[in-house]
Amino acid sequence: MAAIKKTTGLVGLAVAQNPHERLKILYNKILTVLEIIPKEAAYRKFTAQLVGERLQSLHTEPDLEKLEKKINCGQLEEVIQQAEAELFLARKMVEWKPWELLVGTAPANQWKWPV
Amino acid sequence: MFAWVWRAVRRTPSASRLVSTVTEKQPAVRGAFALDRGRLAQFGEYIGAVLPRFVQHVGLTHTGELEVCVHPSGIIPTLFFLQNHSNCQFHSLIDITAVDVPSRVYRFELVYNIMSLRYNTRLRVKSYADELTPVESLNSVYSAANWYEREIWDMFGVFFANHPDLRRILTDYGFEGHPFRKDFPLSGYVEVRYDDEMKRVVAEPLELTQEFRKFDLQSPWETFPRHRTPLADQAAENEREEGGKV
Repeated sequence: MAAIKKTTGLVGLAVAQNPHERLKILYNKILTVLEIIPKEAAYRKFTAQLVGERLQSLHTEPDLEKLEKKINCGQLEEVIQQAEAELFLARKMVEWKPWELLVGTAPANQWKWPV
Repeated sequence: MFAWVWRAVRRTPSASRLVSTVTEKQPAVRGAFALDRGRLAQFGEYIGAVLPRFVQHVGLTHTGELEVCVHPSGIIPTLFFLQNHSNCQFHSLIDITAVDVPSRVYRFELVYNIMSLRYNTRLRVKSYADELTPVESLNSVYSAANWYEREIWDMFGVFFANHPDLRRILTDYGFEGHPFRKDFPLSGYVEVRYDDEMKRVVAEPLELTQEFRKFDLQSPWETFPRHRTPLADQAAENEREEGGKV
């Protein structure tokens, strides 16, 4: 029987009750938002790859500690925070459309150093 | 009497105790190999690939610092992406500054320094602004941006739109002008003194006791007459002199 974690050790971050379920919900939400973005967009490609990998390890690994090691991005509570941030970002990316062409070039010597 | 002198002499440390017996293998400073420029460059390309709409230029400085140069409308999208994307996670805003280059069309270069604790990386995002064009405030992304943007407004005059509290932070209460601009003089325009008649501090036009001294290094008058000839010709001159003496 797996030992229940008492604390994350981080201030203000409570231990997650059911990390597998929470992460699955979040990753699927991210994937549905990514469907709106055009397929050729680099953001969609890279994020879909990342989320796909994490979902894969979620489905194959039931044990929490081993899952943490497999994802290798801190504690599961932190992984949940990252997924929430990614979802927030994906929704904003749909607004901003960063995959389009350059909105404006800089004047000729703008980035020249030394002046 | 001689006993305490002898004891004092004995107390000075011998040379062998001053020399360490353990040879240090770790260098005291970070070596050149410690910074992985290849991976940093790859990461820069990644950012450029994800945000082609805003990123104008990505580069590594000679010291190994990654810089991303963006269009002003892309400041918030780029920094929001860098903060929230799982591959970036730059949750820490270190500094925001501006650089005044009056010869450029957009004279102020805004510099945002951010850091990722998860991936142990630092990054610089640069953009540009005018005296009159407002820039979107970063307060909605990083709350640390509040005072840094106030300082840039006070010192340079760059206006930040949607800033919750944009007012002066370093200059005096009735101060006019933006001191860090290159056209603002070194000692300013006003000086303050206590006026006994009015019983308060008054600000008056500048009256310095020493005149402002400027050293003109391009002056036509020779600064070092003894060093008139360059070194190679000086060697030839010395030979000729010695030949004459002998």
